[in-house]
Amino acid sequence: MDTLLVPFHYDYMLRAILVSALIGGVCGLLSAFITLKGWSLMGDALSHAVVPGVAIAYLIGLPFALGAFVTGLLAAVAIAWVKTGSRIREDASIGIVFTSFFALGLLLISLNPARVNLNSIIFGNILGISVPDIKQLVVISVVTVAVTVLKWRDLMLFCFDPGQARTLGIRTGLLHGLLFTLLAATTVAALQTVGALLVVAMLITPGATAYLLTDRFGVMLWLSSALGAVTALAGAYASYFLNGATGGCIVTLQTLVFVVAFLFAPKHGVLAASRKAKRLARMEGETAL
Amino acid sequence: MPGPLADRGASGIGHPHSAAEAAQAAARDFPPLSLKVDRISVMYPNGQRALNDASFSLSAGTVCGLVGANGSGKSTLFKSVMGFVNPVSGTVRINGRPVREALKQQLVAYVPQAEEVDWQFPVNVTDVVMMGRYGAMNFLRISRAADHAAVEASLRRVGMWDFRGRQIGELSGGQKKRVFLARALAQGGRVILLDEPFTGVDVQTEEAIITLLRQLADDGCIILVSTHNLGSVPEFCDRAVLLNKTVLASGPVEEVFTEPNLTKAFGGVLRQFHFEHSTIQNHDGRQVRVLTDDERPLVFGKDGHLEYKDRTGREDLVKIRSEEQD
Repeated sequence: MDTLLVPFHYDYMLRAILVSALIGGVCGLLSAFITLKGWSLMGDALSHAVVPGVAIAYLIGLPFALGAFVTGLLAAVAIAWVKTGSRIREDASIGIVFTSFFALGLLLISLNPARVNLNSIIFGNILGISVPDIKQLVVISVVTVAVTVLKWRDLMLFCFDPGQARTLGIRTGLLHGLLFTLLAATTVAALQTVGALLVVAMLITPGATAYLLTDRFGVMLWLSSALGAVTALAGAYASYFLNGATGGCIVTLQTLVFVVAFLFAPKHGVLAASRKAKRLARMEGETAL
Repeated sequence: MPGPLADRGASGIGHPHSAAEAAQAAARDFPPLSLKVDRISVMYPNGQRALNDASFSLSAGTVCGLVGANGSGKSTLFKSVMGFVNPVSGTVRINGRPVREALKQQLVAYVPQAEEVDWQFPVNVTDVVMMGRYGAMNFLRISRAADHAAVEASLRRVGMWDFRGRQIGELSGGQKKRVFLARALAQGGRVILLDEPFTGVDVQTEEAIITLLRQLADDGCIILVSTHNLGSVPEFCDRAVLLNKTVLASGPVEEVFTEPNLTKAFGGVLRQFHFEHSTIQNHDGRQVRVLTDDERPLVFGKDGHLEYKDRTGREDLVKIRSEEQD
């Protein structure tokens, strides 16, 4: 019994577990919108595009969130520009832009190995997170949750039917910007926990899992936030015993939960679908007789 | 906006084309409403012209069919009326004011094409209809009793109240269309735009939707329906706008729907069946039935005048025609 409580005796472990749970919850909340809006690839692009920003911010001593945010925004503008300004399709333009930003980030870091730690950006470093960084994360999380709680219905309408939002006189341009800003901010926050490579999992998997479990958006918001928080908490906790990477533990756990939902979800799971198909086939067989 | 929402029951069903009913409708006291599209030209982002110098105007109590081939600019015209695209020249005015102001007053409602909707989205029928009320709600979009009442009245009016808890993907094509129509009703929109409302809809639902659109027009709305289904237009529209990159003709259906106009709009796209060239003989008389798999046929009489499906409600027309002939 005592061994199970050991992680909580270390300040760094306790901090890591709590911060992970916070970030996991916020990412889970956002993931409900991202998956339904079809921005998953955009989240992946953002998580890589913020790397040079983080590197530059550390080099010149600015808050890392600021640097990350600026390059994330630049990448989004570049993606839109490549897509609309040429015949190149969106997925290709996203691919070109985010890899070039990521490459630039790697280059910057490799030129200054003493000042910036490559590993902590790529793989996250929640165990060694500094107090100023925690403060940034808490601010980002509080703002994101507050904005989402206040405006989730508008954001839902924006994801579902932007045309209707516009005919109601709602400024969809603002909502687009708002959702993107929240996405960029949470990406930056999650970078610390699981690293640039795995951020996108935190921003997709909980939402995708919740989507399989419910047909109501309000429920999906709760579910995906809770899934994100619980899996991040449990993953960080388990990483102490496994002596493995925190990010790896969290994302693997999220994937396990997703697989369970994928197979066993009462209505939208694979097994339920095949049961339904069999039942329909049987009914048709009976009517044929 | 209680007007279009009030449950009018079965009254108002029938054909408004008769002179008596039209006069009655004109005499009724609508809040004023007008839609004026004045010489608008719209460019695609790639510099091609989507619409050139298009003009027409509509007033309260009208069902207007917007007819044109694919790529004729129907959806661009819709987007202009909804303020989604800005014309490079010309103006769209609703009640004499710019579209933006009409949107703020919740005057414009839109029923999207089935393909435009994500049917797997985790919302149920009530959620969708409630979205029509967002413009009338406060900053947090928290629904009040009035919003719930409007949603219930709208769902009952389209006959979808019993399905209020269903996820939208679990509905039939006609039911889906009725849900979005209910959303337009709940919004209280008075300029209602419908994009291909009869695609993927069974015949009974089509009739039900037409009846509802006629009622809404009688309540003083402007209904603008984009369709490629030519034959349906004379059956339920008062007016028509023929489109091919510009407005070729607009006005009462019987004036707009002439063979020369339709040929101009559709070119060689239309299939034709000339009875006098066919194997139909005189002894077949009027015992000829026309079946189509999907769309209603458009039938012209001897002098190129429009023929309608039902005599009921068009006794005046039948009388005039019989006097001409015999």
